[in-house]
Amino acid sequence: MNQYFLIFLAGLAGSAHCVGMCGGFACALGSDPRGSVATVRRHLIYNLGRFSTYCFLGAVAGSLGLLLVGHGGEVTAASLTQRLLAVVSGLLMVFIGLRFFGFFRRFSRSAVDSSGNFLVSALRTLLKAPGAVAPLAFGVLNGFLPCPLVYAFAAQAAGSGGALPGVVTMAAFGLGTFPAMLMMGGVGGWVRQGFHQSRIRTVQVNFPRGRSTVVRFDWRRYSVRMAGGFIVMLGITTFVRGLLPMTAHLHSL
Amino acid sequence: MNAVGACSHCLLPIGRIGLQRDVNGEAHQFCCYGCCLAYQVHHGEADEPEAAALLIRLGVGAFLAMSIMLFSLLLYSGTFGVADGWLVHRIHWLLWALATPLIVILGGPFIAGAWQAAIGLRVSSDTLVSIGALAAYGYSGYQVAQGSGIVYFDTATMVLILFTLGRYLEAQGRVRAMRSLAPMLAAERANVRVVADGIDAIRPVHTVQPGTILRIFPGERIAIDGMVIDGHSDCDEAIITGQSETQLKAPGALVHAGSINGHGQIWVRASVAGTDTRWIQISRLVRDALARKSLLGSTIDSAAAIFIPFVLLLAAGTVWFWSTRGPFEVALLIGLAVLVVACPCSLGLAAPLTTAIGIGQAARRGILIRGGGVLEQLARIRGVAFDKTGTLTQGKLQPVYVVTDDTTEKDLLHCATALASGSEHSIARAIAEQGRVNKISVLPAMEIRAHPGAGVTGQIDGVLCAMGSRVFMKALGWTIPEKLSAMPEAPRYTLVYIGWGGRVHGMLALNDTTLPEAKGVIKALHEHGVETLLLSGDRKGPVADVASALGVSTWQAELTPEGKVRALREWAGKRRGSIAMVGDGLNDGPVLASAAVGIAVGTATDLAKESADITLPTGGLGSLPWLVQLAKRVRKSILANLAWALSYNAVALMLAVTGLLKPVVAAGLMFGSSVLVVMRSLRAGHESASIEAHRRIPAEASAAHIYST
Repeated sequence: MNQYFLIFLAGLAGSAHCVGMCGGFACALGSDPRGSVATVRRHLIYNLGRFSTYCFLGAVAGSLGLLLVGHGGEVTAASLTQRLLAVVSGLLMVFIGLRFFGFFRRFSRSAVDSSGNFLVSALRTLLKAPGAVAPLAFGVLNGFLPCPLVYAFAAQAAGSGGALPGVVTMAAFGLGTFPAMLMMGGVGGWVRQGFHQSRIRTVQVNFPRGRSTVVRFDWRRYSVRMAGGFIVMLGITTFVRGLLPMTAHLHSL
Repeated sequence: MNAVGACSHCLLPIGRIGLQRDVNGEAHQFCCYGCCLAYQVHHGEADEPEAAALLIRLGVGAFLAMSIMLFSLLLYSGTFGVADGWLVHRIHWLLWALATPLIVILGGPFIAGAWQAAIGLRVSSDTLVSIGALAAYGYSGYQVAQGSGIVYFDTATMVLILFTLGRYLEAQGRVRAMRSLAPMLAAERANVRVVADGIDAIRPVHTVQPGTILRIFPGERIAIDGMVIDGHSDCDEAIITGQSETQLKAPGALVHAGSINGHGQIWVRASVAGTDTRWIQISRLVRDALARKSLLGSTIDSAAAIFIPFVLLLAAGTVWFWSTRGPFEVALLIGLAVLVVACPCSLGLAAPLTTAIGIGQAARRGILIRGGGVLEQLARIRGVAFDKTGTLTQGKLQPVYVVTDDTTEKDLLHCATALASGSEHSIARAIAEQGRVNKISVLPAMEIRAHPGAGVTGQIDGVLCAMGSRVFMKALGWTIPEKLSAMPEAPRYTLVYIGWGGRVHGMLALNDTTLPEAKGVIKALHEHGVETLLLSGDRKGPVADVASALGVSTWQAELTPEGKVRALREWAGKRRGSIAMVGDGLNDGPVLASAAVGIAVGTATDLAKESADITLPTGGLGSLPWLVQLAKRVRKSILANLAWALSYNAVALMLAVTGLLKPVVAAGLMFGSSVLVVMRSLRAGHESASIEAHRRIPAEASAAHIYST
């Protein structure tokens, strides 16, 4: 359970990244005119959609990992494949984590641009669609937006050695992103409306300007680095696990 | 808004089953579910309930499908042991609960399509998908109710997801392939920037009345025919005139709707109403052309219609065969794979897509084609008959050569042009026109007097000058130098003598010259194995002359319009393959209509009147060999597509029948064949674009060479 808690924490910290990318979506989803209960429901449904996409990705990644590896023993070729997979996913995670610190900036641009015409235009339409199920559809598609965090944990899920561990990995990560995303959404709306009027706008626009935003910007930067630290740590663990000849930890962790 | 018969999304003809939807408050028709889907996703604005509802359905469908896949993956990966039997059973019930709304949401459109076909006592590819998905769902539901452990909800889910995705991707591929046609069809939907009281207002083009002033920004497509009143620019008029060079536009110049404004901003006064531009006429013609099914296309469609019941029988037979040799669920899965893999979507795509791309490529060069059938005929032509006057020749007199005595050619032409400017005679007009074209600056002639049937006299710079026939010069009492009088009378030329100061100084020979590109066109056609024939109402001398000059194999002269029809029929009767006739459309209406392919030069209205099947733009004769090549390439591409699709499906079907394919893999393979056809058509489109550079036969020595001195 230890490892899944770590992933949950990484998701929690990493959601600073979510605030920058998907927080805008959560804000734009806004509050429900029928009151705060409806608003809470709306955002829970949205996050459920996102969550289910993550779990699905986890299941697929886990199964693919298993398919690649098989139920091999200690010194079989399958075990070597699994270790190779762990090395690759570990390196990928370290790379993604370091990007949170501002390294490898050149690679970061293409992600959202290449996310495909379909997803972007679909999200835009869904955002303003009425009805209780629209946020679910929105969340489901939102979950497929290219995101380095999701890639990192999908890689982790692939190395987890099965469909169920894969699902749990991604579920832990998804749950970790819940608090920040719910805060960004309408759930936190009434809190922010009262106290931090000016900050909301800056987050919505996503381009920090002015004095009050500097505070927020710093806060975001620190938590982004914290998240980066977690992911680098996790990546190194995975990487080392791939290098060291022991497989027992795979299911016991 | 949209002509009956063409899909709003991919512009291909709509088959027997079309879908109708309202998008943005307009009625639209779609050829298939994929186009309907893609159009709504890409054109749906945020306030539009239909597009949003569709996306919500897709999103919820994805949610259900992902949940089903997640639990199925958990089951398959052996997460639950024997001890967890009660849990596994609960999960089966959960899967059933998730799959039921999914069948309604994602399967609905397919089932509706199958139902629509069933009402017409037909089966379509939707029938195959529906039966496949419903069989997997129904069998799994029965198993759950029986408490058995084998369920295939994930198969039903994946088949539906893959087919929905496949339809969407296919529609998008088609749109990419058809992109070259978009400017031809955008005419009716264009907007204009109307300048009124110093304020610009964006209005739909059909509200524009003659006299309205419009502002056109650099890079914009001009949506109206009119005259430039301010600003300078250069315009790309390729889709209207077929000319690839940009045309300079200064105040006073005419602009054509459909052309693209170049680097400068211009203000234009509309000369026609927004609904009467040539661009809109072209747009309608192209739309109609796309909606016409070609012979090959409809043959393939009927073949596909026979194919589907055959697949149903094959699938049933496969299930029966395997169920006698093993467990029923294995047999069922093999049968499902057969159903799913055999979808003949790519067959239906083979002909219309390639044909439409061909029509689009021709239209971009100003060539309008009445339909896919015309391209098919053109690909099989063995002979082309030409009209002479106005088709292979300029249709008007032009100076061919000049003889001077004791003066320069320049002075002679100056004198001739100055005198000609003051006369209305057709020969004088031809000389004046050539002077204007070649920018000869002249001193104005004074006291011009025309002597009907003889010549013209006038004062240039105080000197009496005259131009006319030899008889006229003799009547004036002017001497004709030895050099000129010794020359024999040439029967094919019109000779004009020019003189001043009491003597003749030179002579101008005029003729209806052949078009500079004509010889190259005939040569290129011969190289492609196409015979040529010249049919003319003119006298034998000039016709024989033109025929030998251009290398046309056979000719007939002094024909009435009916005589031309008879001559063409006789000629066509002697050889296999079809015959095309190229004429100017005005006098050649009957003979154009009687040819297998009637090609009119310069008059698009004939296309609407159905006397011609193809119209070339004015001066577009040089594109004819390119067009024949295009038609041949289109035909080849269709047949190749067909061969690919058939062999792909045959191999996949064999694999499925022998039980080597899982249904999910089969669904993936199925839309592989559609993707293959779309990709091939796209590539063919690129290849044709690359030969654009030498599409026109280069003009040989120009008739205007005598002015170059």
